[in-house]
This record gives sequence, structure tokens and C-alpha cells, in this order.
Amino acid sequence: MTHPATQVTWDAIVIGTGIGGGTLGRALAEAGWRVLFLERGHADSRQAQNGLSEIFVPEARAARGLWPTPIRATVDGITQDFYAPLGAGPGGSSVFYAATLERPERHDLDPTPGKPHPTGGWPVSFDAFAPYYAHAAALYRVYGSPDPLSPETALPLRPPPPLNAVEDNLMRSLKAAGMSPYHAHTALEGGPDCAKCLGHKCPRVCKMDGRSAGLEPALATGRATLVTGAQVTRLITRDGVVRFVEARLGQETLTFEARQVVLAAGALNTPRLLLASATETTPNGVANSSGMVGRNLMFHLNEMVALWPKGRHRQTTATKAISFRDLYHRDGDRFGTVQAMGIRASYGEIVHYLNRMLAQKGLSRLAPLSRVPAALAYRLFGSAQIFVGLMEDLPYPENRVTHDASCPDQITLTYTLHPELKARRAAFRKAMRRALRGHRHVFLGLQPELNWGHPCGTLRFGHDPATSVLRPDGRTHDVVNLWVSDASFMPTSMGVNPSLTIAAYALHVADQIQKAPS
Amino acid sequence: MTLITPADGCVVVTGAGSGLGRALAKAFCDEGFSTVGLGRRASALADTRELCGNSFEALACDVANPDAVRDSFAEVAEQRGRVAVLVNNAAVYPRRDFLAETPESFARTMAINLGGLVNCSHAALEQMTANGRGRILNVATFADLNPLPASSAYSVSKGAARILTRALIADLSDRFPDIVISDWMPGMLQTEMGIPDGLPPERAAIWGAKLALLRDPSLTGTTFEMDMEILPPRGLKGKIKDALLMRRRKPRRL
Repeated sequence: MTHPATQVTWDAIVIGTGIGGGTLGRALAEAGWRVLFLERGHADSRQAQNGLSEIFVPEARAARGLWPTPIRATVDGITQDFYAPLGAGPGGSSVFYAATLERPERHDLDPTPGKPHPTGGWPVSFDAFAPYYAHAAALYRVYGSPDPLSPETALPLRPPPPLNAVEDNLMRSLKAAGMSPYHAHTALEGGPDCAKCLGHKCPRVCKMDGRSAGLEPALATGRATLVTGAQVTRLITRDGVVRFVEARLGQETLTFEARQVVLAAGALNTPRLLLASATETTPNGVANSSGMVGRNLMFHLNEMVALWPKGRHRQTTATKAISFRDLYHRDGDRFGTVQAMGIRASYGEIVHYLNRMLAQKGLSRLAPLSRVPAALAYRLFGSAQIFVGLMEDLPYPENRVTHDASCPDQITLTYTLHPELKARRAAFRKAMRRALRGHRHVFLGLQPELNWGHPCGTLRFGHDPATSVLRPDGRTHDVVNLWVSDASFMPTSMGVNPSLTIAAYALHVADQIQKAPS
Repeated sequence: MTLITPADGCVVVTGAGSGLGRALAKAFCDEGFSTVGLGRRASALADTRELCGNSFEALACDVANPDAVRDSFAEVAEQRGRVAVLVNNAAVYPRRDFLAETPESFARTMAINLGGLVNCSHAALEQMTANGRGRILNVATFADLNPLPASSAYSVSKGAARILTRALIADLSDRFPDIVISDWMPGMLQTEMGIPDGLPPERAAIWGAKLALLRDPSLTGTTFEMDMEILPPRGLKGKIKDALLMRRRKPRRL
């Protein structure tokens, strides 16, 4: 049986339906293009509300829209298999995200006086990106209050909901400590019965993610088609052009055709797919004449701290509303933003956290013992809110997504924590401790902790085909009709959550792709 | 705890032609619910309708037959809209020594007591997962713990039914927290299946209907016996944890 989508030459095939693929596919479909979305995962009922899960049965993970298999990460020489916070289904990982859509600082993209840029600057400047950031914030219905420290034109933000007593209290005490907190920029439609589905799937069209703000509006145009359960296995290129996209659909292997092909499978999987598409004529993989595919992998470093509001509070819900950028760049160091995580220190989270800590020390067999301290901690933490400092990671070519022919379907990567990173982390912790002086607080991490939900940088964009994989317009240097629309493009990881930047970049690529000759 | 109301949809009770099923149907109708009774015997269902009045609809259907169940639920959806509550009550209890069973007679009991639960839950969940909410109450027993003589097929099928409740919860509760699934032991009843000096089914049905109309997600996975929650047994570690967390659990009462 042939699949009807194989019988069409599409204007564009978009591989992956997260923030990058969803946003770009929507823009193209709304511009009149016929778009085929190929999504690896399956669609659950739209009413499903699950979050991330450690369940280890691949079929159960697939049913929940989770990436079915563990990733294999070798960090500082120690190899571990574990489940990264990755989605596989309509909306990709974004259906599980906490919808924090923050614009980076100018120095994240451009070299600025006193703040040299680690790569000399992105090939598209902050000012050139600004309209796309504004457009993305509008599409994603972002609410919040402007950052009082920012000299830039504020994002178009919708007014945030009123603060609750704990948030108000924290806001005031942070101000008293000399910080400049603001209402975090959050992609929720909101409304009186908003359930604030942060960290799990939103059953309504309220949380704005790759599904609700990208894929679904694209499908609503009538010009886009979604095929779920389509695991793209390789791109078939000839003479520098993608001819076919090969995918497994159940037991069948099918090939799809389009004028333009957009990879949006995420910063871990997009490079893996290019490497897996190697042939005799392109032995290093597709679009990899530079040898840079998969390199410069970055995450953020999470610095988690439990923070108690002053006074007596019986607040049981977690806040996600507070963010401050006072430590973003200090004394020449690139740190990042500090924000409420939207979780309370619950028993389960503490167990999970302690066990990851034991695993990092190779003491996993002690895991059952972590429950007693966790139970104590749970009592102790009570009304504490968890804040996280996101610290920028810098690009190093040896930190990379790899392709292992012995397990071709598994995401594998190697990463080294550089001395520079560790030193900067120590300085960041010190700065956070100083900033939180006067608040009862406890740092939750001993070891540096990578934020596995924020991978980026593995197909950096740039002008020079010898040192970058993508052109400034988002197209690969080597293959004329192959584009990338996910966090792979980022030359540096910035000091904020990547989602808004991915959406803004997707809109930029959507503009450029429409200007490309067919 | 918030209650399911007639505005949320209709109630389906299986085995509504006799005993507890009939009494449950009456209780739901008395609460104002549009109630659909499934059962094999049209004449027995007609008697239930006599008792319940116009808000009761009889659908003659063998719950052991997947196609018949699919058709019945499709008809319910068409005529009465969404199913808010499913009470899996239909069961048979053939008293037979194992040597007097044939493999076929044993399989038939399994097909009704376990298969009926699979068929009806599957059909109801198709709607409930599309809406993101619903309530499934399975009428259960302790028959599996210490099987009585001449009760092999009943004990096995009802034990398996309890496992099915837990398996459904494993598949659904994190994705659809507002689909509430639990077991209810009505107690020893004065019915054809029960004992002569048991509880009148009308009395038990009041509790069953009340429990079936509670939609608190924390009820998922609970077992109620008559009108009282049975707390799961706690191991030593659990007891220590409870003590540390200063958490003493009290069974809920309807």
C-alpha cells in the first residue's frame, strides 16, 4: 500500500513538530505553501495531561509522547544511559515545557562594549532578530512585565495575571535585597480557569507550544498535512540537493519528496540524522563538509536553590512568575538569568534529585537510602520555592553529538565540563548567594548539573562554510534545499531559556525560505 | 469532593436486569441520571425499566461479545450523548467443582466476568479519553484471595478483573487524571448470586451510586468495601515514612 503523502511533491517537508518545526511550518502554510510534517511520535488524545516520566517501557513512553529510548551521554568520561526530557509527538518536547519565553540580551548575539562575544557574534544581529522576537512573542501570547534592567525596546507583552501572596512577598523581598525582579515571560493564553499546565501537556489551546501555536494552526489552514509515527531514517541527496526523505512508518519504509526540506528534530537528533545519512559520496554525513555537524554541543548549567518566602505562608502551589537578570553578566563573566522553576520541592522531586546526585558519584546502589533523607527534606522544605540560575555554556568542538553505527537509533553524545565552566559556575554560585542574602535559602546541587532540556549549537550558523554548518538564512552551506529550524543553529547558548529564540529563528528561516529560488 | 451531575452525561450499568445492577440503575435514575442498562435478558431489563421509569433505557447485549458491546456504546453515544459513568457490574457465579467445569464453561465465565469488563471499559474509554474525563467503577470481590470450593472460574475471573483495574490505571492515570477508576466491594448481598440473609441490594446500591458519582482523582486506585475505604496494607518502610512525615491516613467513608 502506498501512503497518500508519498504521491505529492510538497512545497516543504518539515521533520519534527516542536517549537522550531511547528512555528516554521505554520508560517509557510499561512503563506500558502503545501507543507508535510513528519513527526516521529504518535498523537495521543488531545486531552492527555501527562508530564515527563521515567517509565522504561518504550511503547508506554511512545503512548505518552515521550522519546521512547534513553540517550547515551558520556560526560567527563563516564557513560550513562538515561531519559532526557525529550518529547516525541505533536509539539515535540515543547508540550512538556514550562513555557518560559525570554528574549536574550544584546550581548548574547552581538559583541558589545565590555562584553566580547565568544564567537565574535552571531551572523544575524540582535537588531535584525528583534522583529522576529516581537512576532514570536505575539504568536505565543506571551505575558509578563518588562525587565527593568533592559535598555532595549520591550517585547510586546500581554499583562500578566496578578501575583499571589507568596509571589508578591518574594518580589518585594528580592527588591529589598537590591535585585530587579519582574514577572517572567510566559506563553500562556491564561484566563480565569487556566490550569497553568507547566511541565505537562495542556489539554486545551492555552499553553502555547509547538503544537498549539505551530502545528495546529498550520493544519487549520488546510494546506498542511501531519503524518505521525514517521521516523525519518535518512536524507537521500544527489548533487547537493535533497531528493528524498526516507522514513519508517510501522513496518514500511517510505520516501517523501519536496522542493524544500526543513530539519527540526532538535539539537540532539537533527545532527544525528545528518550523520546517519552518510553515503559513499558524503562519507562524513550530509551537509558536513566542514566536519562541524554535531559539534559545539551546549546545554545550560542549572544552579538550583530553594528559597523561602519571608513570614508565614501556607502556599501550596509553585510559582513560575518571578525572574531577575541582575546576575546575567557580572564582572566580565557570562552567567545568565535566575527564575522561579514552577515546582515545589515535593518528595518525588527530592528523591529523583538525590538519586541523580548519587548516580553522578557512581553510588546508584545507595538509591533506596535516599528516601529517608528525602522524606525529612520534604518536611523541611515546606513552603520553599525552587529557583534556578541558568548559566550560559560555551561552545567547544569536542562536545558533540556522535553517531554510533552499532546503535544507529540511539542519541549518543560526549561532553566535557571545562575548567573554565567550573570556575564560572563557582563564581555564579557566589553571586547568587550574595544576591539572596537575607533570604533563607539552600543550594540544591553539589556537582555541576547540565540542563538536558536545553541542548543547542550542534549545527551552528555562520558566514564561513569551513567553521559553520548553516548559512545565516538557516540553509545548510552544502545542500541547497536543506534548512534547519531548531536549536542546532545557535552559535552560543545565551543566558536564557532557548524557546523564544528558536521560535524567532523559525520565523526568520520561514521568511528566507520563501525568498529562495525553487 | 465534586460530584458528577446529569449534565456531565449518562450512566451505563452492566448486568442491569437483576440484583445489584437493577438496584444501581434505580439509584442513578433517582438521582436524575439518564441511565442505560446492559444485560442479556430483554425481559429482565424490561422489569428494570418498569421499576425505574423513562430515564432508564434497556439495551439487550451480551457483555462477553465485543462487537455487541461496541454497537451498544455507539448507540448510547448517538442517543444519549457522552458516557459520564460506567459501572461494570455484570458477572456470573456458576458454582461448579473444577472437575465439573469444562474448559469451555470456564472460558465462558472468564469471557463474561473479565471479558465484559475489557469490552465495556474499552468502549467507554474511547469516549472518555476523547473528553478527558469519566468515571469507571468496577464491582469487585475478595473471591480471589481465598477461593472457595466450587468457585474456580469466578475467583479467577474476578481476581483478574481487579488486576485489570490496576492495569488500566497504570496506562491511563498520568495521562487522564480526570478519568477516575476504582473498585467497589458491595458486601454480601441478598441476591441470586449472593446469600439469603445478605444485605438488601437497594441499600448497597445507594453506596455504589454515591461512589460512582464522585469524581475526585484521588479515588483512582482505591477500594471501597460497602461504604468504607479499605486502605492498602502498609509495609514497614511505608510505616516509617508515614511516621516521619507525620502522616496518618484515615479511610474515607461515603
